[in-house]
Amino acid sequence: MTHLELENHASDYLEGQLEAVQRVAVEAHLRDCGACRELVGGLRRVMELCRAAENLEPAPWLVPKILRATVGERKPTFRERVSAFFRPTAQPRLAYAVAMAIFSLSVIINAAGLNLRNVTVADLNPRNWFYQANRSGHLLYARAEKFYYDLRVVYEIESRFRQLRSEPSEPKQEAPRQEPAPAGSTERDHPAGTQLASVEGLMSAATSLSAASKMASQRSNTQ
Amino acid sequence: MDSDLELVRRCLKGDDGAWAILLQTHTRKIYNLCYRFTGRTAESEDLTQEVFIKIFQTLKTFDVGQGTFATWLNRVARNHLVDHYRRTKKDRLTASLDDEESGVLEEKPSAEAAPSVHVETRELKELLQRGLDKLSPDLREAVVLRDLQDLDYAEVAQVLGVPEGTVKSRINRGRLELARVLKRMEQVRGPAKAAGSEA
Repeated sequence: MTHLELENHASDYLEGQLEAVQRVAVEAHLRDCGACRELVGGLRRVMELCRAAENLEPAPWLVPKILRATVGERKPTFRERVSAFFRPTAQPRLAYAVAMAIFSLSVIINAAGLNLRNVTVADLNPRNWFYQANRSGHLLYARAEKFYYDLRVVYEIESRFRQLRSEPSEPKQEAPRQEPAPAGSTERDHPAGTQLASVEGLMSAATSLSAASKMASQRSNTQ
Repeated sequence: MDSDLELVRRCLKGDDGAWAILLQTHTRKIYNLCYRFTGRTAESEDLTQEVFIKIFQTLKTFDVGQGTFATWLNRVARNHLVDHYRRTKKDRLTASLDDEESGVLEEKPSAEAAPSVHVETRELKELLQRGLDKLSPDLREAVVLRDLQDLDYAEVAQVLGVPEGTVKSRINRGRLELARVLKRMEQVRGPAKAAGSEA
């Protein structure tokens, strides 16, 4: 086999496509010829390099660009356009806003005393709305106040306050000496006792007065 | 492929979705083919787009009897690349003269920061691409279709429109030529690299 023949069969030899006789001839030539060995080695390296070369990835925008250039921008359907229109509204904050609006509206309608099942022309007058709202506000306040004062705890706290106000804040040693109470009264150390004594005094005075008036009336009857 | 034929039928009926699937299936292969021919990313993207526009316009002429859709696609792409090569021959001659004068084969981004193994692989890939650029179009397309696009001899013959014997001969010559070019490039690069590392 000559150098030229080997060169022509080199690819077939490396791809295993040579017949047995030719393959033996090539191998025999390669054993004796360094230049051809180098040639076949270079060829093998090229094939390996090509096999190892991985496919390159095109840019991600290439397919969309070609699509635009061929079939053009696809026209959206009616349904897609409608959904695209409402897409920004499909968010939780819109639901919150709607819920708050409904709540506020119901509060206002309630306060204005409107009956939605039977709306009259007068119901549409803002002055009526204000009047009704004012009335409802006052009623609400009165109910709340009554509820507050009816609470047992409030009652107890208030009675305790009253009691505290009526009791002296200073000890009895520092209190000035009281004049001796009238006859029949029990002397007390503290002003409450004094007050009680004065009340009793008043009552006894009233009793003696009534007795005196009875005696006077009996005398006039006998005369 | 049967699915390709079905997609082509649907495309011809005006189904844009089928065309989108066909595009997604074959863009990568055609882009790689273009890149192996040109060695430039932007140019390959433009060429890929042009090929598919041509395919879209001539889809009616696709004949199932003449081979698969992939073979037809490769043939259209190859013809377009050959036309492009002829159109830009003058520009390329000027560019290659400039490169030789400046002593630079092609400007590539620096890979100094990458690990050494990665750099070596990358350099080999660049070397292969630059070697392919140095081949004549006939030899290059044969080598690219056989060794990089993994077509068999019969398919390459169909794409190139030449007998299988011619294909075998071109592939063998192309590989030998590529081996010589790579060796020469490595010999040129070797001392330069050594000088660079000494500096």
